[in-house]
Amino acid sequence: MVGIVVISHSGKVAEGVKAMADQMADKSVRIIACGGIENGELGTDAIKIMEALIRADSGDGVVVLVDLGSAVLSTYTALELLDEKERRLIKIADAPLVEGAVCAAVQASAGFSVDEVAAAAESARSMLKL
Amino acid sequence: MIQENMVLTNELGLHARPASALTKIALKYKSNVTLQGNGKTVDAKSIIMVMTMGVKGGCPLVVIADGPDELECMAAIQDLVENKFYEE
Repeated sequence: MVGIVVISHSGKVAEGVKAMADQMADKSVRIIACGGIENGELGTDAIKIMEALIRADSGDGVVVLVDLGSAVLSTYTALELLDEKERRLIKIADAPLVEGAVCAAVQASAGFSVDEVAAAAESARSMLKL
Repeated sequence: MIQENMVLTNELGLHARPASALTKIALKYKSNVTLQGNGKTVDAKSIIMVMTMGVKGGCPLVVIADGPDELECMAAIQDLVENKFYEE
């Protein structure tokens, strides 16, 4: 089953989004929250992200949801720290964090592939709320 | 193509968990599944769309399934709705 990593500059945001996604997902989907840096300050940490990616992967790959700007850069750095085989099935979804995580969680629960789970997250981009 | 008119008998309607339960069932089948309710028509395989419908408890929901496994798919959705999404 595809795993999900939720990356935010804030640990609280990452944990909160994980809680929402967990509520919608089957228990077998690994959803890992990864937010903040040391001392609880705001930021993203490539090493922490790398560890989260490894924990989330059960063999079927990982879809990554990110919040703002440098979260993407830190994720790229984390990917470079992994070997070719480990990062082959990791995909960053170009999607809003909360909606994307919820969509990915449901799609992953139904046993879809990394590409399909990422596509479900990205479908949330065009979703109007009103 | 088959269509069933249902009524949501659970208290909360299609809020987060019931919506995800319905979408997860729809995703298991090859058939296209469309929901109509609260004046909206959405793809049942999109959790974000299903939640945005805002169908409340006690309200009608039309389910349309179209494809090779539409009968099984409809039966599974009907079971879920009739059993109040197995939540109450």
